[in-house]
Amino acid sequence: MIRIQPEPWAAMVSHAREAYPDECVGAMLGSIDGDAKNVVVAMPLQNAFEGAQAERYELRPADLAAADRAARERNMDLIGIYHSHPDCDAYFSQTDLRNSCPWYSFVVLSVQKGEFHHANSWLPNFDQTEAAKEELIY
Amino acid sequence: MAKVLIPTPLRQFTGKQDSVTVAGATVGEVLNALTAQFPDLRKQIFNDEGKVRSFVNVYLNDEDIRYLSKDSTAAKDADTISLVPSIAGGSAVEAPPEAALSNDEILRYSRHLIIPEVGIEGQRKLKAAKVLLVGAGGLGAPLALYLAAAGVGKIGLVDFDTVDFTNLQRQVIHFTADVGRKKLDSAAEKMKAINPNVEIVRHEVALTSENALDILKDYDLVVDGTDNFPTRYLVNDACVLLGKPNVYGSIFRFEGQATVFAYEGGPCYRCLYPEPPPPGLVPSCAEGGVLGILPGTIGLIQATETVKLILGIGEPLVGRLLLYDALGMRFRELKLRKNPECPVCGTHPTVTKLIDYHQFCGVPQPGSAAPDRETKVNEGEIDVVELKQKIDRGDNFVLIDVREPHEYRICNIPGAQLIPLGEFPKRVGEIDSAADIVIHCRTGVRSAKACAVLRQAGFQHVRNVVGGILAWSDKVDPSVPKY
Repeated sequence: MIRIQPEPWAAMVSHAREAYPDECVGAMLGSIDGDAKNVVVAMPLQNAFEGAQAERYELRPADLAAADRAARERNMDLIGIYHSHPDCDAYFSQTDLRNSCPWYSFVVLSVQKGEFHHANSWLPNFDQTEAAKEELIY
Repeated sequence: MAKVLIPTPLRQFTGKQDSVTVAGATVGEVLNALTAQFPDLRKQIFNDEGKVRSFVNVYLNDEDIRYLSKDSTAAKDADTISLVPSIAGGSAVEAPPEAALSNDEILRYSRHLIIPEVGIEGQRKLKAAKVLLVGAGGLGAPLALYLAAAGVGKIGLVDFDTVDFTNLQRQVIHFTADVGRKKLDSAAEKMKAINPNVEIVRHEVALTSENALDILKDYDLVVDGTDNFPTRYLVNDACVLLGKPNVYGSIFRFEGQATVFAYEGGPCYRCLYPEPPPPGLVPSCAEGGVLGILPGTIGLIQATETVKLILGIGEPLVGRLLLYDALGMRFRELKLRKNPECPVCGTHPTVTKLIDYHQFCGVPQPGSAAPDRETKVNEGEIDVVELKQKIDRGDNFVLIDVREPHEYRICNIPGAQLIPLGEFPKRVGEIDSAADIVIHCRTGVRSAKACAVLRQAGFQHVRNVVGGILAWSDKVDPSVPKY
């Protein structure tokens, strides 16, 4: 189960709307207690995909390392990554799956015609062949 | 020795420590020592072959070790090693996994796979591609054979015709033994024999405004191998409305054309020809003839463009009309521009759904007027049987054949005077306007025009032979060859 607090949630939604019609990407910081994850900070990161960003994103490892460092400095954990799907549902695509990592929660925000529509959280497996849906509370 | 920062989700394997200091002279040694100390961590970082998992990047301080000395990068006491996953994604759909190639396919397509521009990725694109061929005739024959051989995954064929003897001179997908069979069955059999991996979808219908969008929507691109204007406009408009490229080709006698219409940003068929030609002005292959080899050349230019579009390589034939002259053996190119005023692809389109293309082109619906013409004799017309009786009775009348001299040499009705339609207006004076006149051609179309010319010139007794010399061969004299 992943719970996103109102403040980081509002930041994620506005980031996704501002990036529209491109995809946005960011990190989610907070605390983990067993399977219960609590997101208290959303950290927007740069979509570094070279090409049409309307249907692709790429995260620079250095940016992810910086997010991990920021979490440590605040005594928080890096819980997951969020990104948006403009004018698409919040599924976990083959592209998402093949470039994922089983260590984190992946929250996908569907933005339809510039407005937030719905969201899902996904937990990919090691072989990058499947992702399980994780309960998402916001 | 170096300090390894443990990402949050992995701390459950390190007794909740967020960093671990481990001995080792190189990064590789440090990571091996770390996972020896915490065996559950090993699976997270290394795959079964002992290699660092594909999604893990290893950083020494601020640098990715791939750009240092990889595993052998020296690790000093003050160094910090971080494990950073590489993450990307997006809503884009990559080639589906079922487009993976089997070992048999890898062998079959090896000459593609070793071209850098194609390679395994390109071959998978071909396998995932869905191409619709409109027409399994002259252009469709080489297209179907080569696209099947090239490994296009799904090929749809639209045709409702049967193979006849006059097809065999150019439609190389159909064999002599196939005469009388459905073209779809004959073509599908040959394609399967060349490449059993290809999925073939048979659309045994005439493409119409009612069914076109439904048929076309399941394909990535459409190849036009039709021989008539209504279907050409229909295919064009449907492609524009659906946003699918239309790979166009046409042939006549010794000349052919090819281009790609309705490609993003490029012109469509209506940008080139906003209006169809007047009915009967441009003869079809059946009326005007075609060099049998010609559709091979043009069809394979279409096939080449199709494969290029699927692979996304090269310069597509967009905005350029390729003209081929087989007699001069020359290729020329005309620039085509997208017409902003185009009624279907322009900025303010007036054609937003499919229309009645037979009406638009001023030609009768197939199957409506044509069969009537063979049986029904209207005023000003004469049936071949009646013509035969007239000849046998020794009636005093003039029989005129308005075909071309080379057609006359193939076969003729004894006693007929040859005046080709083109020479008709200036040779009207040779004909006695008081005589009883009967005019024929091959099918009755050209002779109908000749009758109209004479009637306008004031001739009273002019009749057209229904069905032409083809009907004569069918009903009167089977020894007369049909062509």
